[in-house]
This record gives sequence, structure tokens and C-alpha cells, in this order.
Amino acid sequence: MKSRGEALRDYVIRRLLLMIPTFLGITLVTFTLLQFVPGGQIDQIRMALAGAGGGGEVGGGGGAIAQLVIPEDQLAQLTEYYGFDKPLPVAYASWLWDVVRLDFGESFRYSEPVLRVIGERLPVSIYYGLITAFLTYGICIPLGILKAIKHRTNVDNLTSILIFVGYAVPGFALGAVLSNLLAVRFEIFPLGGFQSVGAAELSFLARIWDIMWHSVLPLIAYLAGAFAVTTMLMKNSLIENMSADYVKTALAKGLSWRRTVFVHALRNSLIPMATSVGTLLGIFLTGSFLIERVFSIQGVGLLSFEAIQARDFPVVLGFLVISSVLLMVGNLISDLAVAFVDPRVRFE
Amino acid sequence: MKWIKLDPITRKRLERFRRIKRGYYSFIILAVAIVLSVFAPYLAESRALLVWHDGRLFLPTFEYFSMETFGQEPPPAWGIADLETEYLRLKREWALERELYDRELAEIGDAPSALAALDGRYPNRGDFVIMPPIPWDPYQNDFWYNEILNEIQALLDAGDDRGAAVLARRDRLVELADAIETGDIEGMLADPERSPTGNLLGLVRTGAMPGLARLGAVPPTPPDLTRRHYLGTDSQGRDVASRLLYGFRISIFFALFLVIVGQVIGTFVGSLQGYLGGRFDILSQRVIEVMIAVPFLYVVIIMAALVAPTFWMLLGIMALFQWIGITFYMRTEMYREKTREYCLAARSYGASHLRIIFRHLLPNCLTPLVTFTPFAIVGAIFALTGLDYLGYGLPPPTPSWGELIDQALQLENRDKLWLIFAPFGALTVTLVLVVFIGESIREAFDPKRYAKYE
Repeated sequence: MKSRGEALRDYVIRRLLLMIPTFLGITLVTFTLLQFVPGGQIDQIRMALAGAGGGGEVGGGGGAIAQLVIPEDQLAQLTEYYGFDKPLPVAYASWLWDVVRLDFGESFRYSEPVLRVIGERLPVSIYYGLITAFLTYGICIPLGILKAIKHRTNVDNLTSILIFVGYAVPGFALGAVLSNLLAVRFEIFPLGGFQSVGAAELSFLARIWDIMWHSVLPLIAYLAGAFAVTTMLMKNSLIENMSADYVKTALAKGLSWRRTVFVHALRNSLIPMATSVGTLLGIFLTGSFLIERVFSIQGVGLLSFEAIQARDFPVVLGFLVISSVLLMVGNLISDLAVAFVDPRVRFE
Repeated sequence: MKWIKLDPITRKRLERFRRIKRGYYSFIILAVAIVLSVFAPYLAESRALLVWHDGRLFLPTFEYFSMETFGQEPPPAWGIADLETEYLRLKREWALERELYDRELAEIGDAPSALAALDGRYPNRGDFVIMPPIPWDPYQNDFWYNEILNEIQALLDAGDDRGAAVLARRDRLVELADAIETGDIEGMLADPERSPTGNLLGLVRTGAMPGLARLGAVPPTPPDLTRRHYLGTDSQGRDVASRLLYGFRISIFFALFLVIVGQVIGTFVGSLQGYLGGRFDILSQRVIEVMIAVPFLYVVIIMAALVAPTFWMLLGIMALFQWIGITFYMRTEMYREKTREYCLAARSYGASHLRIIFRHLLPNCLTPLVTFTPFAIVGAIFALTGLDYLGYGLPPPTPSWGELIDQALQLENRDKLWLIFAPFGALTVTLVLVVFIGESIREAFDPKRYAKYE
């Protein structure tokens, strides 16, 4: 019989090994897909290589497509990096080797290393991700507890209606209404962006106030839909525990109702909350590019969307690599977190 | 429910669903809305439902009628004789005939010869046009606000004051019509205070004639009941209400088809995963992991760059990803259910695997399928609207809520609040109804045991 520690170690190793084929699958699929995008730089490079000249025709994709004229030396460098002159498996393998060494290449649009481009957008995304997560848990857990205790009362019904209406409304549409109404019509809030144009010259406190003022509307848009799932998870979990036998036993033995619910039942019902811990990692990074686009917040999500539109493949691939790794690691963290708070979980 | 044999548990669940009022009424409202949306061509359409003319009925929704049929004159500038009737205009023309007839009748008294002459001048006064509730189709550009002013101005310039007054009265510009008939208009136009440019547009700009305030505007124009744009027009002069209705029809049917396809595939795959387990399960789990991580938007955008997506193509692309969600639940259910005795019994009788899965196990695993489907519909509508907003959904000029939101977020339209309130309201109402239905279904199918301690 293995000890719990050994079982945990084996489990983590097994999960990490399973990530490798998944990672290869994700990158291979995307790498291959990107080869087929018409009008992208890869097409242009191919055409340039074939001696057809730089300006290729651009396929109608609906969005604006940045047309870049690529200088000769850069062209050679790109060809070298992506291996366009080689067959697909070789090109993929050489690109993967670069990625493993954390060399993601250079963005077409910004002519800067991909990691730096993404890194520059990261603080904004983390800011919104952290506040959203903090407020979601800070409101959902108490609200879920309240709703469980007051099950089928007016308080429960009313808050149910509210959170489900919030869940139903798409965040970006709500953001659009709020910004057109409160920012444009009534001029209460700023139209968008992360901070004012001259914010760097403001004093520290004034700058914090400025950033907060800018984030009121986006945060409402982010939060509207965030409450329902977590609150209902909390509520249902607590309700289930409250009708469990151990709670009946505790009450029968004369423990106070308060103590039974808030110490015994509550602790067990918090376990499902741990399942979403890992996904937070991904939220920090990506955010919602729909909301970011509505409010022109220069976060990572918007960056990745613009990168696809502009056919900036190094950024697209770099973003994909990072986000898929975070997704997989996040899932693992979630499972470990559940195992950490719930000793009954067995690793198999 | 006599024609379908339902087992007692399902009947009990349906009964429980009916008792949850919020969900039950949401279901009825949504069902009625979906059925109504099927008849959208009779609710929002520029062709009349019925025309009574020359003692017979016309059904323009089923048949083409040129302007000549009803004696309507084509716009002179166009130079084309064979144009389809403009029914809203026709309705107004005939209404005007009635109005003028009544007015002149009161003036001439009851001399028979004058009456006969009057009858000859207004032959269509007894005819009528019945328009759909929204007399606009979703693709039609209405530039009336600009054009009518130019038309009246042209007639005034040509000295045809009577024609100008008739035109103004036809389109319910009463104040202007009165001013032209009394001759006041010339004084107003000559006064630089009231019209600096000396024409009608000047009158509109200075606000000297409040009844004209809406005119001379370029789309998007605000809601206007007399023009019957109940929710205004969008930036191409198309009726917002009409586009909302057709947008609803497209969104809801897109979502329904997508979710049906996705749930069927997902249930099939998930059931096999749970039932077979082993290598198939591990392998397919890896494939699913890859599919979750490949951003669905990338694929849609790449596909959109290759070919302009149609309704069914977009449905196909989204279905590639839609089926994944339900597999997890079906897999777990199957894992649990296949260890039960009745499954072993079926196997010992020699039932085939497929028969065991679909005949014996699946009916006992349907709770997650039923409870998650409404939320999948919410997700599908959400995804389609988001894609349309980004410009990667259904190609223009398809009526779409997401496209309206995109228009409303253009810098020049941001203060035109009807453009954002209309799609937002439609989206919210629809999704709230579906969510309420979903919540009630969940409550009915999977009630939480709840112990109350007093």
C-alpha cells in the first residue's frame, strides 16, 4: 500500500506526462490551421519566395487585415524561424524546438519579441482578473450561504431572479449599454481604456483613483454573469450537506444550530469551491476580449484577437502555447486543491 | 398526454415543472415567440398583407404587383416603369384621397354633377391596404427623411405648390402642408432668421417649423411612430424592429439546431466513453482536451477567411465544438449506471452493446442532458451574437443582434441609444426566458433534498 504522499507524487507525474501529448496536439492543430489562412504573412512570404512580389491579395475575413511589407532580411529571418521552405512536419518540429527553449519569435506588428508584447499587456489583464475573482468569491460564498439557509423564502427567490438575469445577460452587451448610456450620454464614467491619457503625470493616489474610475463599467460587465454559477454551487453544496446524516447527528447530540451549520456543514460544503481555483489562472491571462474590445482595454485577450485579425502568427501561437499550458496546469491545480481540502479524495 | 406513454417518473417531473410558475410561463412565452417568428414574413414585411382595389382582393405577399396595377406612379428620377408597388406609400396615397374627398365633399354641397366629377377625381377612395404590424422588411433602406424634403423642395421650385402640399399631406407633414396651402411658406423661406439658406432644409435646421424636426436626417434615425419605425432605423436606414424580429428567428433556430446536433453527438460519444472505458476513453479524453484548448474563435476566423460562412457552414463549424460539454456528464452517468444489475442482466441475456447503451442505459442517464440543454442554448445564442459583433458571424446583410451592437458601438453612433437598447433588450429578454426555463427544468428533474431544522 502506497502512502498518500507517494500516491500524490505518482499522480502528479502521471498527469504531467499526459499533458505532453495534449500540448503537442493543440499546437500541431493550430500550427497546421495557420498554414491555410489566406492573406496572412505566411502567404506573402510564400509569394515573395516564389518571386511573385510582396503585396498579396487579401482574403475577405470581415475584419481589418494589416498589410505589412516585409523587408528582405526580415523575410529570410521569418522563413528561417518558421521553416516555410520545409515540409510541414519539419517546420513544426523546428518551431516546437524553439518554443521549448522559450523562443517565441518576434511579433510582425510590433517587431518585438512575443513574450515582451504579451508581458506588456499582462498587468492590465491581471488587474481585472484579480478584482473579478476577489469580488466573485467575496460575494458568491456569503450569498450562497444566505440562500441555502433561507431556501425557498422571498430572499432566496429574489436573489435567484437577480443572479439568473445577470447570468443571462451577455457581459459585453451589458458593457455596451452601460458605456453608451453612462459614459457617452451622461458622461459620468470614462469611455474606455485602462487609465486617462495623462495618467502618468498624476500623483499616486490620483492615479489609483483614475484607474478605479475607469474600471467601474468593465467590472460590472465582467461580474454580471459571474455570480450565478458560483453562488448556486455554494448554495446547493450547503443544502446537500445540511441534510446529511452527520448534521442530523450533530443536532441530535445537542450541538447548537449555528455551530452545526457554520462549522460542520459549511466546511464540507466549501470543497466544491476549490474546483474552480485552477481555472483562475486562465482567467488572469485571457479575460474576455469581447469586454476588452467594448471598453478598448489593452489586455491580453484583445491582443490575441487583434493578432488573429492582423495575421500576427508569432503572437497567435505564443498566446496559444501559454494559454494552453496554463489551462492544463490550472486543471491540475484544481484537482490538487480539491484533494488538499478533502482527504477522502483518492488518486487513481 | 394520452398519445405519448410516459413513465410515472417523467410524468411527475413534468408535473413538477408545470408547478414552477416562473419557468412554466417563460416556456409558454418563448414557445409563442418562436412560433410567431416563423410567421415573420407576415409580421415585418414591406409588402401589404391585403389590398382591396377595383372591387377585388390582392395578396401581395404571394404575388408580384407592379406599380401600374394600383395606378401608382414610379419615382420620375428612376426612369423604370416596371417597379414593385410601394405599399406603405400606396396606403398613404389612398388615405389622402379619402381625406381630400371628404374635404371637397363638404365644400361642394350635394349638386349631382359636381359629385360625379368628384367621384371621378378620387376613384380609389374606397380602396384600402392592410400592412403587416411592422411595415418594413429587414433589408430595406429607408431614406425617406432625406428624400421627401428634396421632393417637396423640387415641386416648390417648379412652382407646383399644390403638388407639394399634396405630397406633404400624404406623408403626414401637416404643418408644412398647411403652410404651403395658405402660402405662408414663401414668407418663411424668405426670412433669413427662419431659413438662412432660403429652402426647406434651412427651416428644419433652425427649428422654425417643429413638425419638420425629424427631416433632413441621415440614418440612423430615432424611433418614429408616424413613419412606423417603432425602434428607429440603423446606420443604413433599415428598420431596427424588423431586424430584431428576423434576428430573433435566426438566433433561436441557429441555437436550437446547433444544440440538437451537439447534444446528439455529445451524448453518443460520452455514452461510448463511459460504457467502453479503457483505451477508447483515455484516447478520446485526450482528443477532447485538445479541442477545448484550441480556441474556437481561431477556427471560425480561419474558416471565415477561406470561405464566406453561410448559416449551415457556421453551424457546422460551431457544432465541431458544441458537442464536448455534454460528454463529461454522459460519461460519468454511464460509468455509474453500467455497474447496475439490470445492465448485467441485459448482457447475460445476450443483448448487444449498442442495444444495452441506447435501449437500457441511456433512458436512465437523461437527467443531465435535459437539465443542461437550456443552458447550452443560452451559450449558443451568446456565441452567435458575440461572433456577429466581432464581424465573424453570419455575413451581412443578415439581420443580427450582434451586428446591431457593433453598429451602436461605432463612435458616431454612440449617442444614438435606440441602437443599443433594442438589441440589448431583445437579447436580455430571450436569454432570461431560456435561463428561467432551464432553472425550472433543473429544479423539476433534480430537486435538491433539503432538510429544514426548526
